[in-house]
Parts: sequence; C-alpha cells; structure tokens
Amino acid sequence: MAQNVNPFFPSHGAQGKSREETPSLPKDNHAVSKRLQKELMYLMMHADKGISAFPDGENLFKWVGTITGPQDTVYTDLSYKLSLEFPQSYPYSAPVVRFMTPCFHPNVDNAGNICLDILKDKWSALYDVRTILLSIQSLLGEPNNDSPLNPHAADLWQDQVKYKEYLLDEYRKAQDKAQDS
Amino acid sequence: MENASGNAVKMDQCIDRIFREVLENISSDNLMNSQTRNCLKMCPFSLLMMKIEKIVRIRVVPQFWSKFNNSINKDSKEGFQDFTDSVDELYENSKKFISVIDRLKESISCVHQNCEFKSDQLIKHVRHYIQGTILSQIPLQHTIIIEQFYKTAFNVFCNIEALQQPCDFPTNNELIICEGCKQEKKNCRCQVIVNIFHKTNEKLIDLGLLERLSGSVLTSLIHIRIKNYVFSVSCNSFNQSQIGNLEHWLDTVVMNWLVRIYTGGSSKMAGLPDKFRNAISTFKQKLSYFLYETYTRVRIQQLFNIILIFPDSQPALDDLRVCLKKNDLRKYLISNLQFNVKTRLLHPGVSTPDILTTYISAIKALRQLDPTCTLLEIITDPVKLYLRGREDTVRCVVSGLLNESNANNLANEIMRNKPINQDLSSSNDTAQKDSNNSTQTKKENWENWQPDLIDSENEFDLKPDLKSDLKSSLFGIYSKITPCKAEPNSAVISKNENSDLISMLVNVYGSQDLFVNEYRSLLADRLLSQLDFQTEKEYRQLQLLKERFGEQQLLSCEVMIKDLCDSQNINNNIHNDQTYMSHFKAFDTSALILSAQFWPPFKEDWKLELPAVVQQQLQKYVLAFESFKANRSICWKTHIGNVNLEIETQDRKLTLNVSPIHATIIIHFQDKNEWSLDQLSEVMHVPTTVLRRKIGYWVSQSLLIETSNDVFVLVDKLDPDNSKQFTDLTQNILEDDEDIDSAMASVSDQREEELQIFWSYIVGMLTNLDSMPLERIHQMLKMFASQGTGAVECSLAELRQFLDNKVKDHQLLYSSGLYKLPKS
Repeated sequence: MAQNVNPFFPSHGAQGKSREETPSLPKDNHAVSKRLQKELMYLMMHADKGISAFPDGENLFKWVGTITGPQDTVYTDLSYKLSLEFPQSYPYSAPVVRFMTPCFHPNVDNAGNICLDILKDKWSALYDVRTILLSIQSLLGEPNNDSPLNPHAADLWQDQVKYKEYLLDEYRKAQDKAQDS
Repeated sequence: MENASGNAVKMDQCIDRIFREVLENISSDNLMNSQTRNCLKMCPFSLLMMKIEKIVRIRVVPQFWSKFNNSINKDSKEGFQDFTDSVDELYENSKKFISVIDRLKESISCVHQNCEFKSDQLIKHVRHYIQGTILSQIPLQHTIIIEQFYKTAFNVFCNIEALQQPCDFPTNNELIICEGCKQEKKNCRCQVIVNIFHKTNEKLIDLGLLERLSGSVLTSLIHIRIKNYVFSVSCNSFNQSQIGNLEHWLDTVVMNWLVRIYTGGSSKMAGLPDKFRNAISTFKQKLSYFLYETYTRVRIQQLFNIILIFPDSQPALDDLRVCLKKNDLRKYLISNLQFNVKTRLLHPGVSTPDILTTYISAIKALRQLDPTCTLLEIITDPVKLYLRGREDTVRCVVSGLLNESNANNLANEIMRNKPINQDLSSSNDTAQKDSNNSTQTKKENWENWQPDLIDSENEFDLKPDLKSDLKSSLFGIYSKITPCKAEPNSAVISKNENSDLISMLVNVYGSQDLFVNEYRSLLADRLLSQLDFQTEKEYRQLQLLKERFGEQQLLSCEVMIKDLCDSQNINNNIHNDQTYMSHFKAFDTSALILSAQFWPPFKEDWKLELPAVVQQQLQKYVLAFESFKANRSICWKTHIGNVNLEIETQDRKLTLNVSPIHATIIIHFQDKNEWSLDQLSEVMHVPTTVLRRKIGYWVSQSLLIETSNDVFVLVDKLDPDNSKQFTDLTQNILEDDEDIDSAMASVSDQREEELQIFWSYIVGMLTNLDSMPLERIHQMLKMFASQGTGAVECSLAELRQFLDNKVKDHQLLYSSGLYKLPKS
C-alpha cells in the first residue's frame, strides 16, 4: 500500500501530528498533467487493439475511453464507451471509471459503475490507462460472479446462448436510445 | 498652277482697286475746305487698313486654307507642293499689302494728330492681322499637309545624313530609288526639296507663322524620329552605353536640322537673332528631356531582359540609373517590371533553378539601380513569396551553394562573401544584432537621415525649418508604398547586409532550419555516393557554411563527415584483423558506419533481402566490428551501397559497379536461370514495381531477357547479330543509367512522417469522441500532441490538407463540417 500513498497528500497521521504545518499541496497539477500527457502519448503510439482513450475536450483530467469486446466471448464486436475521471492525486489514487454505454454485465450496475478490484482496493500507481482499459476489456469475458452488481446477469451467465441473446437485445436498445437522443 | 496665278492676278487688281478707292476718298476730302480738313473723319491709313483687313479676312486667308481642307487623299508629294504654294501665295500677298502701304506713304502723310496707325507700325499691324486671321480660321485637318511637307523634307535630310556616314551596305548605292525623295535617282529632287524647304521656312519666319503653324507638327515629327532612333539604337543590345551616343546624335543631327529651319539653310547659329536662339535652346531642352524619357522607357521595358543577362548588361543598367535621375519614371519601372516578373517568371513553366538565377541577378542588378534597396524589396517580394510556395526551392538553393559548376555561381558567392556576423548562432541573434546596429547608426547620424524612397537627396534643397515637416510627409509616403513587407527581419537584413546574397536567399524562408536540414540531406547523399572516403571538399564547404549558419546548427553535419573518416579507420582495422581475414572470404567488404542519430532519416519503404552468401559475409563483418568496438553493433542498410560485380557468361566478361538491388537480382539468376517477377519479389522482399524497374538495367545490358510476361531468363550466349548492338547499348545505358534516387528522405517526406504522429492522435480522438470539426481537431492536437521536445507544429491549413488526403484515401469520412472515422 505504500506506493499508493501520495507524498503530497498528508496522511491522516501526519495531519494529526502537526496541524499548523500547512500541507504542501502542489499548487498546480503539473506533475499529474505530465504523467497523463505521457500516458496519452504512449496510448497513441502503441495502439492496442480494441482499446482506446482520449481526453474529452480541454480537460486533461477527464477522458473518454472505448473498448471493444474480446474475441470469442459474447461481447465480441460490441463497443462500449467509458468515462475516466482522474483525481488530482492520480496516480496515487485510482481514477473513477464508468460505462457510458449501458452495459449488461454481472459486475456493472445500471448506472455504469464497475466492480473491479484494481479500481478499488487493489489500485497501484503502477497501473495506467492502458492497463485499466485492458482489465475492463478482459472483465467483459471473465466476470466475477461471486459478487455481482447485476444479479440478473450473473444468473443468466450460465446459459451463454440466452445470455448473448439478451445482451444483444439490450445493446441494440441502448444504441437506438443513443441515436434518438 | 493656273489657278494660283489667276488668283494672283485677281489679287493684284483687287489691291489696285483698294488703292484707288482710298486715294479717291482722300482726294474727295481734299476738295473740302480747310475747316473741314481739320475734322477729317477718317485717317487714310486706317481707311486702308480697314480695306486690307477685309480682303485678308474674306479672301487671302480662306484662299490660304483652301488647300489644306481637301488634303486627305493627297500623297506626300502633292502635299509638299500645296504647302509650298500656299505659303508662297500668302507671302506674296503680304508683300503686296506692304507695297501698297509704302505707296500710300509716299503719296500722302497722315496729318491726323492721334492717328493710331503710325506709319512704321502699319506693316507690323498688317502682319499681326494676317497671323491672327490665319489662326482664327484654322481648319480641322490643317496638319496633314504640314506634316507631309516636313516629313518629305525630313526624309531628305535623314537620307543626306545617312549618306554622309560611312556606308556599311554597298547595296544602297545600287538602289534606283533615292531614299530621300522617293524618286528615281536620275530625277532626284532632293536638292530642290531642300531649297524649297528652306525658302518656305524663311517666308514663314518672316510672316511670324513658323512656330504657330508648324511647331506642333515639327515637334511630333522630331519625337517620332527620336523614338525610332532610340529604338534602333537600344534594340536588344545591352552591352553598350548609349547615353553619349544619343546626346551626340541629338546635338548634331536633330539640332542641326532645327537650326537650319530657323536660319533658312545655313547651319550656323551665330547669325541668328537672340529670339531664335532662345527658341532653339528651349526646344533643345524639351527634346533632350523627351530623348531621355524615351530611352528610359525603352530600357525599362527591356529591364527584365537586362536582368536576365545581368553582368553582361551592365552598361544598359548604368544608363538606366542615370536616366532615372532625370525623370520620374520610377513608378512606371516598378509596375512594368512587376508585370514582367509576374508573367514571365512566376508561373509553373519556369523551373526553380531558373527562378533562383533570375532572382539572384535581380538582386544584383536592382541593387545597382537603387542602392537603398527599396526598389529591390518591392520587386522581389512577390518572387520570394512565390519561391516559398515551390517545393524544391531549398534543395535548389543548397545544391547551388554546393555545386561549383552551377550557373548561378552561388558557390563562389559563399566563398567570397564573409558573413557579417561571424558567431551568429540563430536568425534571432542576427536580427537582434542588426537592429542594435541600426539603432546605433541611427543615433549617430540622425541629422543626416534621409527618407528611403528618394534617390538623389540634392533634389530637395530644403530650408531647415521645413525639413522635418517634409520629411515626415515623405516618410508617410514611404510607409504607404511598402506596407506589405513580409517580416521586419527581411527589411533589416536587406539594409544592413546589402552585399550578402546568401542571406537574402536564406531569408526567402525566413528561417535557417529548413536550409540546414536540406543541406544535411544533400550532404548525406553526397557522402554516401562516394566510395573513396574523400571528405576534404565537403569539410571545406561545411566550414564555410558554419561561419554563416553557426556551429550549433551544423553539428550533426560535422558528425556525418567524421563518421566517414572513422569508417575508413574501422575498415582498415578490420581488414587487418587476423581472425576476420583468416575466415573464408566470399568478397571484400568495407562499410560506411553512420551514427544513426545524426544522419537524416533514410528512405526505406522496403527492406531488401540480400542473398545468403552476402548476408553471411556481412555477418562476419559485424562480428569483427563487435570485437573491435565493444558494446557496439551495426545494422545494415541493405538498400544503400555499391557492389563491384564481375559477370562471366559463356561469351562475355563484364565488370560493373552497381547498386545492391541490381547485384541481388543478378545473383539470383546465378542459381536459377528463370525467374518470374513475383517469385523474385518474394525472395528479395522488394515490390514488383520497383523490381521491374531495376531489372530493366540488366535487360538493357542484354544479360536478361523477358521471355514472356513478367518472366525473365538469363542470356548466357548472345546471338552474334546482337553482340554489336550490345556494345552500342552499354555505352548509352551506362550514361543515362537510371534516375539517381536520393537515399535520404526528402524534407517533405520527413514532414509526412511527422504528420503521421498526428494521425495516431487523430484516430485516438475520433475513436473516442466520434466526430469533430477541423478547428477542434487542430485545437486538441495543439493541446495534447504538440508538447515536449521536438514538438511538431502544424498549421490549420496544413492539417486540413492532411485530413483531406485521408478522406481521399477513405481513412476518414467528412460530412457537414465534421470529420469522423469510417465504421470498420
């Protein structure tokens, strides 16, 4: 966990010790921007198949990602949009990642929240946008049915044929809705 | 003639009648008593005057003009005769009036106290009245006859003039027609014409009508003559100064003629009254001005040609400079030259080296014309702008700089001209320095400062208190005329580095980086193309360039040259290496070892697969190198290099020096007699299109032959018939071998590659953000893709072009202002 501690963020213990000592929060988020910039460059230069991300507008701390379902799974050829929001303390704390395209999946709830360990307690500063996207991509094919956010999906997962039927139906509905709006 | 004499008789009678009438009047007065005599109502002279005036008005003048009126269809001979007759008649008539007055004067004298016609003024009055009446009744087409008269005379004079000069054309003497009077030689009337001409002029002078009547005709005739002469003299010969010649011509030929007209035959001015002398001298001044103006105009029209052959046209240019001071044809010059430059130089049909050569000539020539360089800037600005648009400008300039045999002599220029700033490291520094310099000089002699646009300061002899006002207004003009100066930089440089041609060329782009990059590419080509490791010349050039562009910019070039020297050492070392030499050697190998970081990127679209034998040998070289230089290795650029080949067929033995790809092709035919293009392409990893082009070389050498479509076979033995043809062929082929490709990626190729980086960003953003307009893409790229070192800049226009190309390649979709990726 040590690596997850932002040296700029005063830990609770330190805060208790010396309150008068104003925490040396970075005035600008230059280091974070730089890191994100670098990640972006890496992502652009070494395009992995099926994953992509780019800052949404002028704000470097808010990205839009795109993943396509892994081959040989029910999610094949389906593409999902995600939003990634980076905190000022990135990479010492995990970004908030959500599905923007409604996703029928055992570990994704109706609001698009994802239940993935590396985005929660297993987060490490060594992870980056690329690894996050790759993890979510693989999560699509290998859900963790032990702690489902979407019990219906978890139940249905057993029957892959039915699951796929339902999934495609949902996906198409979502697409139509997106197009209408 | 009968008519004329008839008229003369009538006039005589008429005048006699007047005389009688007047006398009668007077005698009838005489009959009156002495009392009435005192109150004589009418002075006899005024009575006479009234009669004369009436006759002049009604009879003499209309008669004089009558010949002029229906003169449209007459030829010059008739015109000449008519004019002479008319003038003669008028002169005779005026004489008669005078004789009448004289007769009257003899018989009586006016006793009237306040007589307004004093006897001596009478004659003058008659003349004035005739002059006035003639001019008041001037008909519309009066000039035709006058023109014919003077033209005829002029022709005769010119001919006499020409005959006096040593004749270059003996054929002239054999002509039957006299050039002067257009008559057969035996009937030549030249002398007659000259006599008549002088007499007529004399009469006109006597009547006081010469200048009024024939002045304008005379002037226009002389103008035409001057024009023709100037044209004939300055037509397409720029290597002689003509001003002296023209002045002399004006002084002798034209003035001589003019003087003769006034003097009535003699060519001496001495005997002339002051009045005529003044008239002649003012006339001469006008003519001299006209001569200069005409000559200037001719030279201005030729200026583009003068510039084209500049060093040879120096005299013409000097003439023009002198002439420009005498008149204000600067604007004409600018517009004319600009037009010429635009229509004759700046169009796609002119090759870039030609434009550059002209540009350089123009700089040199215009600088002579106008040392302040204002003219130069106005004229060359469009050229610069145009050159900026040409892709190969940089390459041409750089190759011009390096190629000593080049026509535009840039190489000599760089040797000759010491740069102004020895230690400049960037263009910014130069500008900075220059502006410092200029402010310094400004401070020193601000009182002597003169506006730029005016050539000769002497023209303005200003009072001190007026000076500042006028100057500021002049400055206003100046800034109005040249508002389009591209960058302040260029203005500064052109003024302070007058003599520095190279800077002006480099500043076509406003930045030295492009030039340095292009030079690097060219240098790379040159270094790679030579086999003997001779770098002396390149090194010398580099030193010269360094003085100009600064050490920093050319650092990598220095490394490149050093690479070559190092390679030679390494080769020597490896060749002395026992372990390397002890191995079986397929062939001698020597390598050029280049420091990848410092060389410009190579153009390598495909990686040539060398034959196994060659690869083994090269591998051995690598091993030897690695043992020689620890921790280093080499990576072969298989498409660059030189191969010495000895080819032996059944009947031939060839020794050739070819490129690796050529060698590889023919080596493959060693193992197998027949290859199809596809097979060969697969083995060599070379696209078939390239391969086909390269195979052409061997086909032309008669070593390969295309038996069927895309299938090539080795020719082992030539038909005896073909062998002769073969030797002929080799001669040709070796000379125009093939297009010598540059191994380096050109600057534009490099640019393409840089833009490719943007492309991955663009794909990234369009994948995630769906569709975007051009401006937003540009903005995003600027924010996210152009950071860090070696950032690439990309203008909106360039991006648009780039994206449009992608749309053309179906890699992008464009609709209603938005770009998006095609659905895969």
